[in-house]
Amino acid sequence: MANTEINNIKLGILVISGLAVLVFSLFLIGKNQNLFGGSFELKARFTNINGLMEGNNVWYSGIQAGTIKNIKLLNDTVIEVTIRIDKDIKSHIRSNAVASIGTEGLMGNKIINITPAKSNGKIASAGDILPVQKPVNTDDLLQTLSKTNNDIAVISGTLRETVLRISRSPALDLLDDKTIGRSLRSSLDNVNSASANARLMTRTLNELMTQAKKGKGVAGAFLSDTGMAANMKTAITNFKLASQNANRLTVHLDSLALQINYDLHKDQGIYHLLLKDTSMNRNFSLSLDNIRKGTDGFNQNMEALKHSFLFRGYFKKQAKEASKNTIKSGN
Amino acid sequence: MQFGTNTREFFDQTGKISNFAGRFFSSVAKPRFETAEFFNQCFLIGYKSLALIALTAFIMGLVLTMQLRPSLVEYGVQSQLPVMVGIAIVREIGPVITALIFAGKIASSIGAELGSMKVTEQIDAMDVSGTNPYKYLVTTRVIATTLMLPVLTVLGDAVSLFGAYIGVNIRSVTSFQLFFTQVFQSLSYGDLVPAVIKTFFFGFAVGIIGCYKGYFSSKGTRGVGSSANSAVVLSSVLIFVIDLLAVQITDLLGLN
Repeated sequence: MANTEINNIKLGILVISGLAVLVFSLFLIGKNQNLFGGSFELKARFTNINGLMEGNNVWYSGIQAGTIKNIKLLNDTVIEVTIRIDKDIKSHIRSNAVASIGTEGLMGNKIINITPAKSNGKIASAGDILPVQKPVNTDDLLQTLSKTNNDIAVISGTLRETVLRISRSPALDLLDDKTIGRSLRSSLDNVNSASANARLMTRTLNELMTQAKKGKGVAGAFLSDTGMAANMKTAITNFKLASQNANRLTVHLDSLALQINYDLHKDQGIYHLLLKDTSMNRNFSLSLDNIRKGTDGFNQNMEALKHSFLFRGYFKKQAKEASKNTIKSGN
Repeated sequence: MQFGTNTREFFDQTGKISNFAGRFFSSVAKPRFETAEFFNQCFLIGYKSLALIALTAFIMGLVLTMQLRPSLVEYGVQSQLPVMVGIAIVREIGPVITALIFAGKIASSIGAELGSMKVTEQIDAMDVSGTNPYKYLVTTRVIATTLMLPVLTVLGDAVSLFGAYIGVNIRSVTSFQLFFTQVFQSLSYGDLVPAVIKTFFFGFAVGIIGCYKGYFSSKGTRGVGSSANSAVVLSSVLIFVIDLLAVQITDLLGLN
């Protein structure tokens, strides 16, 4: 009998432990679904609940706050969702908190997110209807994305053309040319020195101007002396007269030249004889020959004169004085 | 005509088993109750099977986790491993594997035991001596299997989840609390309750088939062997058939 009793005890332990595990699991699951404890219900009205189901979770600022208790179609556009909120969250939810439908993770179950509003409202009481935010509809999103995509395609096509045109254009060669940089640099240097010169120039000019103002220097005299101006005036008048005389002179010269020209062409007058008559020319050279011969004869006569005893003393005396002068200049 | 005789035999068997089961229901409520024998059977069927079922359940949980892991890693959702394993074990793997092991151990032992009693004419002797053999042998065993299998399944689930926890921790690190929270977060009554309810039917099927095959065992030692064998095969098949029905019913009830 003792054996049987031990067996029964073992059996009892088995059964009780099995039942304990079962009850414990049931309790845990029930607790997760808020089947026990105080219930506090809020409501939210949506036009589209995107597949939200009874029993889905409700998050308050990312904390598990309750579950969806009931989903009811009020009319053709309004769906009322009853949310069961945990006791300990209850006191934190305000009546102006916003309910929106979201997803657990990227592809998980649908959830309701309750987000506190920025302004303070009164603490929500049971049965309050929370304001809602329109859920982001994936289809709408895709449609917008499709439109955007088309626009981007057009833009990128145009951009491609533009880029091609730029790459083909000779303007790009300028970028590759290394000499341009150097030229540019030297140009800039020149500009720099030019501007330095310009500065110097303006400074000098400035000084000049101040001096001119004060009546110093040529320019000053020029600009500020009234006597000078009068002189200038007479000088200019004289210039005028002189130029008139010169004018007249040139007219005379002109008529003279014309006369000469005319005589030359008609083979008459003194100019013609001088410039064109060949017989005259020969006569001239004969005369010159006779003159040379005459002078040669004269030279011989003069040499003969030097050697004559009458004039020898004079020439000796002259040679002595000349040698004395050369010795003096050598010392 | 082979097909004809087989079909005939199939319906004959079905009718006989149904009759046998009906006899159980008619006799179960009637006194006198064989309480001592019932507890003894519960001890033999339930307690003695615990070690086997715990071992298989533990291995099942661990292996299932490790097998599921690569495909979840492929989708980058290995954090959902406890959820997947928890649902798989509680809904399907736990009850069915436990029931199959239970069938292998219990249906064969009942079939062999009753078969040998039948062959050695102990059942007839019992009838003569005034004890209702059906009540003493069949009813107690069937009730014991029906009640013990759910208990074993629940315990098996617990051990299996522990195995799964170790399986998760082989490749990554998860605290027991997180694992526990994730598993129970994902479970609902719709997962646990139908799974537990169907194990009663599994247990009943195992008990009734084992008893039927043994009770109507043919003569000779070969008869004992074949009744033990066919008890295991038939009860295993029945477990799957009941599982199929159970999933349809829970689906219809909207519990899935």
